[in-house]
Amino acid sequence: MKTPVRHIGRLLAAASILFAPLASPGFAAHNVAATTPDLGGVWEVTMGVRTRPGTGTVELPSLTPEYAQKLAAFKAAQTQGEDEESPQANCVPPGMPAIMNQPYPIELLFTPGKITIVIEAYSQTRRIFLDGRKHPPDPDLTYNGHSIGHWEGDTLVVDSVGFTPDTALGPSQGYRHSDQMHILERFRLTDPNTMEVVTIIDDPKALTKPFSATKVLKRHREWDIAEYICEQNNRNLATDKGKAGIILNH
Amino acid sequence: MKTSFTLGLALAVLSPIAIGHHSYAMFDLGQTVTLKGTIRDFQWTNPHSWIWIDVPDAKGAMQQWGIEGMSPNYLARRGWNKHTLNPGDKVSLMIHPLKGADHGGSFLSVTLADGTVMRQSGEPPPSSAPSSAP
Repeated sequence: MKTPVRHIGRLLAAASILFAPLASPGFAAHNVAATTPDLGGVWEVTMGVRTRPGTGTVELPSLTPEYAQKLAAFKAAQTQGEDEESPQANCVPPGMPAIMNQPYPIELLFTPGKITIVIEAYSQTRRIFLDGRKHPPDPDLTYNGHSIGHWEGDTLVVDSVGFTPDTALGPSQGYRHSDQMHILERFRLTDPNTMEVVTIIDDPKALTKPFSATKVLKRHREWDIAEYICEQNNRNLATDKGKAGIILNH
Repeated sequence: MKTSFTLGLALAVLSPIAIGHHSYAMFDLGQTVTLKGTIRDFQWTNPHSWIWIDVPDAKGAMQQWGIEGMSPNYLARRGWNKHTLNPGDKVSLMIHPLKGADHGGSFLSVTLADGTVMRQSGEPPPSSAPSSAP
């Protein structure tokens, strides 16, 4: 990526200068939305596409020694039959970034000053503020974080912080992140019903350099988001040691 | 069958978390078993559909198996509905069995009485609605 995520603050400062002459945040967002690409509707990740831009290969996060140790401990526990299962087996949502990479669709809703992403898996919601606000100086730590966005030409750029370290960075539960994880997502259309999302993740505690992954989503205009109540008939389970289980009574 | 298994492996390698709800550690992915029997119940529920099937064992005694499939949300976009399987249907199921002796497994495909084969993996059909995007 040409834009290191650690520089995103400067990008946002530039964006706020661009928007400054407009009368109000609500008006600004409405006006911008009318001239920006149509990213609305229901989208599904095309599976198996998770690559570093330009390389076509799968990139793994480059961990700091502290977090490499966490991964080593995770792998050691797996050899003992532990940590084979994730909290998702107990219907705990994965949080960011994994919640954006599920085998279920998402819906992007545009309203003045805000984009809402309705995520079918685990019935999750992300709110991306485009009304000029900044991140809170000391955000509460949540699964999906605090997101602000702006447009760079035809690309929607979303900056997110405030993540609880309870969730995994991925690609496995052994790859952890800290409360300093910082995610930049760049959404753009590559054809009328295809959207590329480049996700760049930085974490000064966990990563030695930003980690990026690109996914491709297809728009399905005839689809609606369906109900997903994970607790309805969940027969999977993870024990407190991460051992997988299954419930077969019927 | 090869297609489904290859896809499963590819997903497991590329994006374990993206598979979604749980790992497949409890299933023996190296083994494929065919169950011939009678549907007892088809649970069209999240986070997984469940096929309950009575299968005669070597001595002719009926054994109930529970087979986990993808969710209704996923399957409905790939040609399934809540009536795809019904109690009393005679079917042939291909599964990856659980490790160990319990009668459970992970769904691969089902052959219905009329010979129709239903799978669950793969991309959905492309959108047929007209596009209004630029």
